[in-house]
Order: sequence, then structure tokens, then C-alpha cells
Amino acid sequence: MTEWMHPGLILIIGALFVPLFKGRWKQAYLILPPVAALIDVVLMYTGIFGDIPFSAWRLPFLGYELVFGRVDKLSFLFGLIFSLATVPLIIYSLHVKSSSEHMSQLVYAGCALGVVFAGDLITLYFFWEIMSIASMLVIWHGGTEKAHSAGLRYIIWHIAGGITLLAGIVMYIANTGSIAFDAIGWGSGSALLPSLLIFIGFILNAGVPPLHAWLPDAYPEATVTGSVFLSIFTTKSAVYVLARGFAGFGPLVWLGAIMTVYPIFYAVLENDLRKVLSYSLINQVGFMLCGIGIGTALSLNGAVSHAFAHIIYKGLLFMSIGSVLYRTGTAKATDLGGLYKTMPLTCAFCLVGAVSISAFPMFSGFVTKSMVIQASVIGEMALIYVLLQLASAGVFHHAGIKVPFFAFFGHDSGLRPKDPQLNMILGMGIMAFFCIFIGLYPQPLYQILPYPVNFDPFTASHVVEVLQLLLLASFAFFLLITSGLYPPEQKKINLDTDWPLRIAALKFRWFIEGPLVGFATWMNDHVTRIAADLSAYGEEREERVFIGASVMLALLFLAMYLIVELFYRWIFS
Amino acid sequence: MELILVLLSLVGFIGYIILNYATKEPSPPQRDMLLAVYGFILIIMVVVGLFIQWPIEFSWQDVSAFYAIYGFSACIFLIYAAKVLRILLPRDEDYYEKKGGRVE
Repeated sequence: MTEWMHPGLILIIGALFVPLFKGRWKQAYLILPPVAALIDVVLMYTGIFGDIPFSAWRLPFLGYELVFGRVDKLSFLFGLIFSLATVPLIIYSLHVKSSSEHMSQLVYAGCALGVVFAGDLITLYFFWEIMSIASMLVIWHGGTEKAHSAGLRYIIWHIAGGITLLAGIVMYIANTGSIAFDAIGWGSGSALLPSLLIFIGFILNAGVPPLHAWLPDAYPEATVTGSVFLSIFTTKSAVYVLARGFAGFGPLVWLGAIMTVYPIFYAVLENDLRKVLSYSLINQVGFMLCGIGIGTALSLNGAVSHAFAHIIYKGLLFMSIGSVLYRTGTAKATDLGGLYKTMPLTCAFCLVGAVSISAFPMFSGFVTKSMVIQASVIGEMALIYVLLQLASAGVFHHAGIKVPFFAFFGHDSGLRPKDPQLNMILGMGIMAFFCIFIGLYPQPLYQILPYPVNFDPFTASHVVEVLQLLLLASFAFFLLITSGLYPPEQKKINLDTDWPLRIAALKFRWFIEGPLVGFATWMNDHVTRIAADLSAYGEEREERVFIGASVMLALLFLAMYLIVELFYRWIFS
Repeated sequence: MELILVLLSLVGFIGYIILNYATKEPSPPQRDMLLAVYGFILIIMVVVGLFIQWPIEFSWQDVSAFYAIYGFSACIFLIYAAKVLRILLPRDEDYYEKKGGRVE
């Protein structure tokens, strides 16, 4: 197969034609681009998959050659899971009427594929930034005031990260003279700063604390279908670039381990179940980063396969809680409970997702996460091992028990919603199927991993280890909840690392709206009158305001000039 | 051997489902019976652990039922740590809106 078609471009071009269709035709059309992209990626596998990276779609740009399609084992794996997940996701969101929402979601997924197949840093940056903007649009489709401001805060974080990344990339290219995106590693001397900047740009998208606050802030504000899309692409494309650029980079081990533990506390505290899932998303990405940091063949296999499994079960969990939100209008633990009777299918899917994320034997998380944990054992990292096991028990507690328990069992809320309609059930069903399939037959997944797999998760000690850890953790939960010691859910939000920034921003807005506008009004009232008197115009109020503003602007420039001039003289005299 | 492990996993999964169902409110009529089954499953897990050849990578794994103890205490620790954090972190749901002066 010599022709290569970019799967991301299929999604992006496919998105452009969405508004041309209506009703049933639109639903039929919407399935086309993701399926075409999936077939495209799968054919890549059979046709040109090999040890030598295959490069296609080269484009001259500013004297460099951009590579849009670099396919090797790593990018193929991520390309496959991104395109594979897009199909059930789009089926899940078929009932949505808004064409623009579908468009932003498809463009978002397409750009994530663009990042994955990018062979150079300029292409990478291009898709990286459009992905940020597309995901902000996905958040804005939430349609509420909260979603709007959360989207703005989201894009501010990502613009900051994007500029850091861009600065790093420019310096890196200037240093090395090459735009190729391969292992970046940790430079020394003048190469240190560019590596550091690129690294910060990457880990911001991965949601490493303290740069994670955008994630639980914005993801729960999107629509039911939007948050499922969001839960997949941004963080996992960051995992991909880190796996390629910074494999075996020591600090990632610790960042990852902290990242697995830190969000657990928030997930226990949090009342909004979609926020609980957002925090557990950060926790799961922590396992992947830890695996990337350890950098052995086993740990890298574990990291990327965990990303693969994670995309499926996390999508499933967001889908099932999304269905609850769709039917009841709330995802708050305090308002839910007892839904298992009337939403049996959604409940079953949620339980499958919950045991998969908890790495229960025979479900997908088990066969992937254990590779990372085993790698920490082989690397003799005792403390990391203890932290990862603590995080495993924690995941089971908040995502494995808390989410299904408070939504579907727990205290009966009196709500009697029905299961959602067929397309949402179908979307969840496909995801649940893959959770169980990977858990029972991990071999197909193991075969496409970057390194040969020599690992069997189903050993007696390992199965019993996980079962003991998880079931006894559930016993602790049971003891506390029946004895009434378990802290009841509260209708509260929790402060996170973005607190000082948000308070500073609010103070800044107060300064603009208060003193600064007051000053401007005063200027308008006084200076405008003088200007209007002086001028031959100014009969109408609008004109006076206009003239006043011009005069003010001129005064401002004069004042600035004066300051610069004085400063200049003061320095050079 | 594989069959035993699969059965064990299934039993664990059933225990998990039973726990979810039995602790709901209002309590199901068979609550006590279900909890007894759940307790029995816990005991099975711990007892099976005593008959297994554990790989000793770190010295503490020498302790029988190490993972059972660790899972139990980790969960208790997390919940109590969250109780402490609950004093510090929670704010009203319109906290930022109030700070911004948008809510009267």
C-alpha cells in the first residue's frame, strides 16, 4: 500500500459536511467519518506496518520538511485507540441535534490523531493548538454560564502551556537545527531550557499537579457527550508525546506517583460525580506517566497499554454517568441514588467500567496496570510501589465503589428515570464489550505494543494480591458506611491549585470594573467636555464620547512617550 | 489452575456486586444473608492467600495477607485523610461567583 491517507484529516473534512444533513440522514452520515478513519488506521497496520518508521505526507515549510504521517508501533497504537474510541463515542452522541457540537467533537478527535501521527515538532504544535481550541468549543457547547467561564479558564491554561511549548520548540530547533520529533530527553547547558519548556508544555496537557486544575474545572461543565470526548483525547495525546519524547526520564516517575495519589483525596471529597471521574482520570494518567518515567520495555508497554485500556473504561464511566445526568438532570452524589431499578443497563455498564478502572481480574485495567506496577518492583522502587498500590486501593474506593454506589445504590433518591435511548446504550455496550474482551484476551493488545511482551498477569499470586487488596478496601468502605463514620456527601466545591490564580483574576477584574472604569468615566465627564467645547463638533453625545475617547488615547500615548523618554534619559545619562 | 483463578475472580466480582446491593438504603430484605456471603468471600480471599507461593520482592511481602491488610488500612487512611481535608477545602458552590461580586 503506497497511498497513505491521514485519518485525522478524514475526521476534520468529514466534520465540515455535517451541517448539510438533517434528521436521520445526519445520524447516518455522522457514523461515516469515524468508521472511515478506523478502517484507514487498521489498513495501515496490515499494509505498511514494520520496524522502519513509515513516513508520508511530507510538505515543505519555511525550508523544513513537515511530516504529517509517521507510523511506527507507538503512533499506530495511539492512532488505533483514538479512531476506535471515536466510533462508539459518535454513536453515543447521535441523538444530539446541534451540528456545531458534532463538528467541534470530530475536529477535536481529528487533531488528536494529527498530534499522534506528527513526525516533526512544527506539525505537532499546529495540531496541538487546534486541539486546544476545538476542545474549548466542546466545553462551550455545555451552554451554561458556568461552562462558558470554565471554557475560558481552560483555554487560558492551554494557551499558557502552548506558548511554553512553542518557546521550547523554537529554542530546540535553533539548538539542534532539526525539527524531527523523537526522543528529546534532558539536555544540559543551553539544551536544558528548551527541553524543560517542552516538558512543561507536555505535562500541562497531561494534567500533572499542580498544573491540572483546568481538568476537573472544565470537563464536568461540558455536555453529556462532550465530556466523554474530553476525557479521551487531550490527556492521552499528552501521554503519547511524553512516551515518545521523554521515555525513561527520571522525574516522571515521581511526578506520576504523586499524580496517582494527589487526586484521590479530592475524588473522595467531591460531590459532583463527573468531577470524581475527572480526578480519577488524573490518577490513572499518573500510572502511565510513572511507567514512561521508569522507561524499561515492560513499563513503557504498561504505560501505553494502560492508556489504551483507560480510554475505553474511562469513556464508559463518563458515558454511564452522562446517561444519568441526561435522564435526571444532575450528576451530584447528594441528589442521586437507587437508580439500579429503573436504569439496569446503565448500572451494569457503570459497574463494568468501575471494576475495569479498579483493575479487577478479568477486566481491562488488570492486564495493563499490573505491568507498570511490576516494572516498579523490578526497578526496586519500594516507595513508588507502595504509592501505586495505595493509589490502586484509592481508585477502587472512589471510582470503583463511590461512583456506582452513590448513583445506582446508596440512599434511594426517589428518582425513577429510564435507561437512555438505543444509541446511548449501544455506545456504552461497545465500550463495555472491549473492557471485558481486553481483560479476558489481552493477547491482541499485547501484540501491538511497542516492545515484545513477556508478561503474564494471570499468575496465582498476582490475582490473589489484587483481589485481597480490592475486596478488603471495599470491606473498609462497608464498615465505615454502615457505622455512619463515612463522611456524608456535601453540596460543596473544593479548592484546588487554581485557587490563588482565580482569586487574583477576580481581583484584577474588580480593579478593571472598579477603579479603572471609574477613572475612565471621570476622564470622559471632564476631558470630553473640554474637548467638546474646543471642537467645532460635538453636538451629539456619541460624537463627544468618540472625541473624548480619542483625546484620552492621545493623552495616554503622550504620557507613555513621556515616561519612556524620561526613563531612557535616566538610564543613559 | 487457570480455572481456579477465573472462579476466584468471579467470586470476587460477585462479592463486589453483593456489597453494592446490600449496603443500599432502604436495606434489601436479604441484607444479613448477603452480608454473610460477602464476609465468607472475604475470608476465602484471605485463606487462599495463605496457600500461595508469594514472590518476595520486598521484605514486607513476607507477612501473610499483606495485601489484605494494606488494602484495608489504605482505604481507612484515605477516608480519614479526606475527613481532615474536609475542614480545609470545601466552599459553598457559588464561592467563586460571590468572590467575583456576581451574586448578590
